Amino acid sequence: MGKTILMVDDSASVRQMVGMTLKQAGYTVVEACDGREALQKATASRVDAVITDLNMPGMDGLSFIRQYRATPASNGVPIVFLTTESDEGLKAQAKQAGATGWMVKPFKPDQLLAVMRKVAGA
Amino acid sequence: MSELDPADVFRQEANELIETLEQALLDLEKRPDDRELVGLAFRALHTLKGSGAMFGFTAVSEFIHEFETAFDRVRKGEAAADRRLIAAALEARDHVAHLIEDPDCDPKRGEAILAALKVAVSGEAAPAATSAPNAPAAGIDATSQAQPAGAGWHVRFRLPADALTLGTNPLLLLDELRGLGPCEVVALAGEVPTLDRIEPQQCYLAWDVTLRADVAKDAVDDVFLFVRDDMELSIEPLAADAADVPGAPAALPAMAESPKPAAPAPAAEPQTAQRPAAKAAAGGTERGAGAKVERNATLRVPAERLDELMDRVGELVIAQARLSQLAETIHDASLINVAEEIERLTASLRDTTMGTRMVPIGSLFGRFRRLVHDLSEDLGKPISFVTEGEDTELDKTVIEQLADPLVHLIRNSVDHGLENPDRRAEAGKPATGTLRLSASHRGAEVAIAVSDDGAGLNAERIRRRAEEAGLLAAGQAISEGELNRMIFQPGFSTAAQVTALSGRGVGMDVVKKTIDGLRGSIDVDTLPGKGTTVTLRLPLTLAIIDGLLVRVGDDRYTIPLAAVEECLELPTGVDKDARGRSFLNLRGELVPFLKLRGLFQTEGEPDPYQKVVVVSSDSMRVGLVVDQIIGNNQTVIKQLSRLHSGLKTFSGATILGDGTVALILDVMHLVGFGQKLEERRRAETLGRAA
Amino acid sequence: MHALTIRLQDEMFALEATHVREILDPVPITRVPNAGSFVGGLINVRGSVVPLADLRVSFGMDRPPQDADTRIVVMEISLDGEPMVAGILADKVYDVTDIEAASIEDAPKVGMRWPAEYVRGIGRRDDDFVIIPDMQQIFGARTNLAAENG
Repeated sequence: MGKTILMVDDSASVRQMVGMTLKQAGYTVVEACDGREALQKATASRVDAVITDLNMPGMDGLSFIRQYRATPASNGVPIVFLTTESDEGLKAQAKQAGATGWMVKPFKPDQLLAVMRKVAGA
Repeated sequence: MSELDPADVFRQEANELIETLEQALLDLEKRPDDRELVGLAFRALHTLKGSGAMFGFTAVSEFIHEFETAFDRVRKGEAAADRRLIAAALEARDHVAHLIEDPDCDPKRGEAILAALKVAVSGEAAPAATSAPNAPAAGIDATSQAQPAGAGWHVRFRLPADALTLGTNPLLLLDELRGLGPCEVVALAGEVPTLDRIEPQQCYLAWDVTLRADVAKDAVDDVFLFVRDDMELSIEPLAADAADVPGAPAALPAMAESPKPAAPAPAAEPQTAQRPAAKAAAGGTERGAGAKVERNATLRVPAERLDELMDRVGELVIAQARLSQLAETIHDASLINVAEEIERLTASLRDTTMGTRMVPIGSLFGRFRRLVHDLSEDLGKPISFVTEGEDTELDKTVIEQLADPLVHLIRNSVDHGLENPDRRAEAGKPATGTLRLSASHRGAEVAIAVSDDGAGLNAERIRRRAEEAGLLAAGQAISEGELNRMIFQPGFSTAAQVTALSGRGVGMDVVKKTIDGLRGSIDVDTLPGKGTTVTLRLPLTLAIIDGLLVRVGDDRYTIPLAAVEECLELPTGVDKDARGRSFLNLRGELVPFLKLRGLFQTEGEPDPYQKVVVVSSDSMRVGLVVDQIIGNNQTVIKQLSRLHSGLKTFSGATILGDGTVALILDVMHLVGFGQKLEERRRAETLGRAA
Repeated sequence: MHALTIRLQDEMFALEATHVREILDPVPITRVPNAGSFVGGLINVRGSVVPLADLRVSFGMDRPPQDADTRIVVMEISLDGEPMVAGILADKVYDVTDIEAASIEDAPKVGMRWPAEYVRGIGRRDDDFVIIPDMQQIFGARTNLAAENG
């Protein structure tokens, strides 16, 4: 049984791309389309890592990271956020909120896998 | 569910985003200072750009990047969202849609649009400083120093205290270093406190790694990409092996491998991420917070599957009715229990299934805003477009079919109804015309109205045109309503000049055809000089409705329950009114009634105590006299064949629990039919009296 | 012609067998008020509501009540070029047989008891004449459609 990754993005196409890539690499993928759903899924059962977009309707990525980090369930769970530009200000905010790492969109499947191995292991 | 082609998923999603963008832009034109709208438009662009690049739509992504850069000035408050900018942005939106369909199209057009957009946001071309949309993934600092050609690197690092809690796993970092080449790893445990002061979730260890591999410094640096900012890290070439790294005690007992990662404590206290804000950027704006649009989790399901589901539920309802009937006959208590349970479940399954097919009409209304906007520009008629009742829900198939008729009605209103500003000024009206699109529930119907405050229909011209077109005999008497409805006849057009938009004599008959097909009706109200309202009335044509089953003679009929107001006994003597009237005194109000036995030429003797079912249709109430009221039933609507499509008194048929067919009464038409009979009888009575 | 032969009163009719879906024993018929007597009823055929046509009306025949031989032939009809399903009342259903094309003659223009436009041809089976009705004409005839009364 592979590690469980929670994938949070409001874009179905990104979720699908990430989901397919991770599944092929042996991860189990749980999807959520906004922060609210992500928070519910991340706290309902243990996940091994979280990939989240920041820009989302409903609850955005930063609020999600903050609220998730406020729960014991997030202890030791790496959170990688997705961002479109390498915006240092945003990166700092996300890290401040408790993110572990980031990825710049667009990314290729092997880049995604490299980052996942880095934070969650194979 | 089968995996879809990601590019198709992107296209579908892109269409929605483009739609969102368009709506936001159109709203912005009205409320240029609404930050949420700007945020919404920006977010749509942003997502489009990101996923576009990921799915190989490079041209789209690059174009949007420029679009976004220009639009960013609006977001930053440096440019106003004026009409010119919105127009340019809408063009850009169209180009995005075009690029998604045809990524290889001529880039010149895109450049021209961008140029216009840049002019619109700044008055002069914005500096094309940010023209690199595809920043490298996993941001890497440009710290490429000269590579010392050496045997490797001496790496020392200490993680921030909360690194473990925040998901950084030092074991993985060490693994990654090992991936670069052979490593000697020494854990530095000098900072580990005594047991009574130890915090199990904190990371006290530091590591000293000797990496013997000829790799670039960047590669080593990248291992620490995510933690670099907050940690102590030194990477020195092996040749210049520095014994003293500040903060790292030299010569420590060599504890190779396994720095014990703190196991996540189940009862750990909530951890709020607080750390010295060494690099926290003060100026960072909270992105994403701008677009606070609520959206529930949704699931995409092919529409046919919903149709199939509805069919199955329909069959289930019929089977359930049979079960209930059987249970009644057999009269076994436990069987009746089960039958009732199934009946309840079926009803709720039915409601849920139908609920999934109900779509708020707002989704359709939204599409017309662009149409009105464009028409307004093209014809030079300023228009205020008002929509009401967007959350009125209708079956999705009905909504889909309404799109075309509404386009025609709106075009017609703008083209022929609303006057140009000069004419409006002459008539003492505000220069901006109002076009109103509204939807509301009325009993078992939905009314959708398109109204304008324009010139109104010209009765004389309609008559002349209808006579020319041979739709009306010269001088033929015709009611006002019927005359107005002439505009929906095929081949009818009053436009003095044919515009590209309407007046070609096609279109309005499409409206009638579609509405007829939906078993609806069209009303036209017009006041010369004041405006015109076209109202489409549609039955809530759902696959299954709640019905009231009644008996007339030996036949059973179903009346849509939503139209039923009350049931009562027909007072004796009321049908023997000497003046030939068929009116019922309902709490002081006179309500006409129709004897279904007469209407349906039912044979045999009526029951001694006749019942009246009072139904309403568009504020008209009518009593339907029946022999017996049997009770409520779930009614699966089956369309009548074309052999019976002329019978407007029935909206369909259904199958009852015993397997027989019962006709469903079309309340709207029955009321009309009754009215006519009533009038005819009155005329006959008058004729006899004369 | 591959034909299902049925009896309407004392005449034998041949229906295109490939268009026949099934033959039913009499089922409850729901009267459709104001629909006229040609398609004055509806029946339930496996969960579908199907109009029931009485060809005897088109041919001006007597319409005695149903008896033990009465059947309903469910078949596909083409109406204005679009297919639909309808039931046909039969006083009796015989069998499926081949009627040689060579034996089929045009309906005589005169001297026939039946409306000529409803007859596609007269076939011969053993010593009997078989009427081949023109279903398209019969069902397409305006008089046979339920009139609008709204």
